[in-house]
Amino acid sequence: MTIRIDQQSCDGCVRCLAACPYGGIDIADGKAVLNLRCTHCGTCLDACPQGAILSDAGTRRIPDFSEYRGVWVMAQQEAGGLHPVSLELLGKARELAEHLGQDVSALLLGDRVEPLVGALFAAGAQQVHLVEHPALAGYRTLPFSRAAAQVIQSQKPEILLVGATPMGRDLAPRLARRLGLGLTADCTGLEIDAQERILRQTRPAFGGNVMATIVGRYSRPQVATVRPGIMKPLPPEPGRQGRLLRHNVHIPSQDLRTTLLKTIQVPRSGVDLTSARVIVAGGRGVGNMAGFALLEELAGVLGAELGGTRVAYESGWIPHERQIGQTGVTVRPDLYVAVGLSGAIQHRAGMLDSRFIVAINKDRAAPIFDVADFALVGDFSKIVPAVISAAQEA
Amino acid sequence: MRIFVLVKQVPDSTEIKIDPRTGNLLRQGVAAIMNPEDRHALQAAVELAAQVGESSVTVLTMGPPQAIDVLTEALACGADKAVLLTDELFAGADTWSTSGVLARAIQHLGGAHLVLAGRQAIDGDTAQIGPQVAEALGMEQATYVQEIEYLDGELEVERRMGEHLERLCLPLPALVTVVAELNVPGHPRLDLLLLACQDRAPIEILNAADLGFKAQEVGLAGSLTEVVETFSPKSARETEFLEGSPAEMAAALLGRLKAAKLLHKGGLE
Amino acid sequence: MSGKTLNLKAKVRPPPRIRSDAPRMVRQVFHRFTEEEVIPRAQAIDESRAFPRELFKMLGDMNAFGVRYPRNKGGAGGSTTIFCIICEELARGLVSLAAEYAMQCLMGTNFLFHYGNAEQHERYFLPAMKGEKVTAFCMTEPDNSSDLTGCKTSAKRDGEDWVINGVKTFVTNGPVADLFTVLVQTRPGSRGKGLNFCLVPREAPGLSVSRAFATLGTWSTEMSELALSDVVIPAQNMLLPPGTGMRALLSIVAEIRTMTAALGLGLARAAYEASVRYARERYQFGRLIKDYQLIQAHMANMATNIYASELMVRDCCARIDRGESPLNLSSMTKYFVCETACNAADRATRVLGGYSYSMDYPVQRYYRDSRFLLYGGGTHEILQSTIGRTLLR
Repeated sequence: MTIRIDQQSCDGCVRCLAACPYGGIDIADGKAVLNLRCTHCGTCLDACPQGAILSDAGTRRIPDFSEYRGVWVMAQQEAGGLHPVSLELLGKARELAEHLGQDVSALLLGDRVEPLVGALFAAGAQQVHLVEHPALAGYRTLPFSRAAAQVIQSQKPEILLVGATPMGRDLAPRLARRLGLGLTADCTGLEIDAQERILRQTRPAFGGNVMATIVGRYSRPQVATVRPGIMKPLPPEPGRQGRLLRHNVHIPSQDLRTTLLKTIQVPRSGVDLTSARVIVAGGRGVGNMAGFALLEELAGVLGAELGGTRVAYESGWIPHERQIGQTGVTVRPDLYVAVGLSGAIQHRAGMLDSRFIVAINKDRAAPIFDVADFALVGDFSKIVPAVISAAQEA
Repeated sequence: MRIFVLVKQVPDSTEIKIDPRTGNLLRQGVAAIMNPEDRHALQAAVELAAQVGESSVTVLTMGPPQAIDVLTEALACGADKAVLLTDELFAGADTWSTSGVLARAIQHLGGAHLVLAGRQAIDGDTAQIGPQVAEALGMEQATYVQEIEYLDGELEVERRMGEHLERLCLPLPALVTVVAELNVPGHPRLDLLLLACQDRAPIEILNAADLGFKAQEVGLAGSLTEVVETFSPKSARETEFLEGSPAEMAAALLGRLKAAKLLHKGGLE
Repeated sequence: MSGKTLNLKAKVRPPPRIRSDAPRMVRQVFHRFTEEEVIPRAQAIDESRAFPRELFKMLGDMNAFGVRYPRNKGGAGGSTTIFCIICEELARGLVSLAAEYAMQCLMGTNFLFHYGNAEQHERYFLPAMKGEKVTAFCMTEPDNSSDLTGCKTSAKRDGEDWVINGVKTFVTNGPVADLFTVLVQTRPGSRGKGLNFCLVPREAPGLSVSRAFATLGTWSTEMSELALSDVVIPAQNMLLPPGTGMRALLSIVAEIRTMTAALGLGLARAAYEASVRYARERYQFGRLIKDYQLIQAHMANMATNIYASELMVRDCCARIDRGESPLNLSSMTKYFVCETACNAADRATRVLGGYSYSMDYPVQRYYRDSRFLLYGGGTHEILQSTIGRTLLR
């Protein structure tokens, strides 16, 4: 695709500058012009009130999707039970379904998994589509893709939500490609567009420094993955009933060539940041292991768990299960103390819902201060010891 | 064994800054780098090719012309051949469109026994391209892989699935996406780097027409999703800057935490 | 999708010739190497006062020592431009590593490469390229340094062999080197005509290497004295045809000076970058110190001189790569850029205040290391007189 700006109709209103995620447009002599950073992505097209931004992409016809109905959630399993993210997504699905005036369904795939159906009803599913097959005992990509594709093709849901667990992120793209579906990963916000009645999917994008809202107008179901901990489950209603629909699927032997040799339980580190009430987290600015030893001391005084950013994990300062953010865990403690981390959106996406946020950073312009309740500007290696001794005296 | 490695040029997000006044990205001078996990995939490919023998490593990227730099670097790290898929028509592609182009290119280039890629790119974090290319090529797949062994035409891999590890035996052809725990990538070699900058470097450049695509089949026009809005998230929080010496700031902070009932005697509950 | 539509179809076009720009790629790769491998270790290496073998081997694995030599002979097929970019980037992290690197690439291996036989290439040159053997270059003597024609280390014929006697000092890499290229006088009293270079392996009987000197800066560049007492070397170790020593030396003088300038440029950048970072973070009296005009003046001075230095280094490199031997221009470049480095290091200590006086931060190292650049590659006093003498000739 190629973008051009019609210099005749451009009135220099600069709306396109704000829309461009790449900084690809400049204003020269009162007119918008593309610069070298323009990637011709087309995000600016709808921003121009003058219609001065042109592309060679023709207007696309949106197919008739009226027979697609229902908001579905992939019921994922973990250690014989349901993964919490499935229950969280059922909560979100209820909200979306109410806007559309449609039903909520769960898609449950496995071998002898019917005992889980009740928990899905209790968490908000009005229908459960159940597929039981010996080839579905334990997750493998191809049999699960085969089974899910067959049910989705026959039942035609409008929306499918999948938890962004390693399994969900393995399955959802495979399934979307097979069925020709648009897919948005790791959404942090989902809502129904009031006019078009399509799913608005919001996630950090373009290097994680802006939020982007994405829609899929040209395929159904609209598929989105959501990380655990982002959505809130409904209060469970034990004993709640719904419709159970069983489906038979055919899984050919060619789907079974990959074999699971063994499963190894990783010894649990005992770390569960998602339930921590207080978290002390560090980033690049902490600089080294000695810096993190100081944070650990602070965490000890505050009764907190220690966490960190992607950089902290990649630098080997914290183990992966303590990484917070878009590619780590999402947390919502009562108190979040951010030390020496700038607060890129990817990190903020994982901690923004904390009740109180304290930020310690020597760069007054760091974006973490935009989301902090209390900001301490200065060298953390001086401030943290002061906080430790103040807390010990308190 | 014909091995393909999918790589992506990404902005070095650790260097991105935000203008505190306008909230806009400051992009000038932000370096473009090879996506970190792709370096691990490339290292694995070069090691596997050496182990198996009679193998070739072709590194493939789709991007603007300047993405050539990641291919140059890949050649300097031991890849045998590099292919750049570039065309203004590819711009604005979502993962559906991108995976379709990458898969078509692999077929165009003779097909693969093994495709390796990083688990996800740091500028998108979608982790979708790997599985989607695998599907488009009808290959076996394994994602989140942290150990690869080649045994007689099959791969034994170990993948991290959250709370547990799985060991899988995959028949070829297969696509494997890898995480950083897999290996330690070496630095590029200077002689290979300089060779890769020369005209005679083994770099092939393909556009949409070379791969038999029509304009409306690729890029934004060939995508199933599109970005309709971008915004900087605004916080509703009122930020209070605590001033003074470290001790004064610490005292002020402790006072605020007490007032918010976050602090109790002997530390926090 | 709004608006009008342009008509652009997929067209079959000839494949464009798209290639990366070599100097930019080399800078990118060694920038990252410096950020990832050198800077995190720099303080510890400096304080250890020991030759950084681990990093040296890494550079060997990257074939970085081969930058000046052709690919088919074990080199990397680069140029002086590429060589100086690497020197500059490494010096940004740790000047002593960059100095050791440059010694191995240029003075330590140049005559071995150009005049050594196949066996010597196999035994010394190829391992040196891999970073497995360390090389050193011995010119300076206790009584004379810049005046090379006064070389007193003697080589006397003894049948098929040569017998070497003399003392060399300030030998960079001396305590760790496996092979020394030694400047000798084969015809005492002949001034330049009898100069030659010979290879002396470390294990040669009669060779003794002193302990590393205590120095002001570049702590991990070990320097020592070398005493040669009736050291016998075979004829093939006397590298040059008689009477060509001076010309051979002159062939690399411009490159040595330009390389030394590149080290200075790297150091100046490190000092400048540390100052910019600090000025943007440090608050005094409620303002960032970057908002004070005296700080801005430091920045303006450093950046302007760095810009000029960059152009001078780039121009000298381009001239050498074109086959010129810019003796006087490279002297000016070495003089200007290394003064810039000393000046930038000094200014950085003023911007960072007390933090530059603490041994826990790198600015003190920039300041100490900058003094090395004043002497290595020709003192600025001698350089100024040769520049002036040449201009007025």
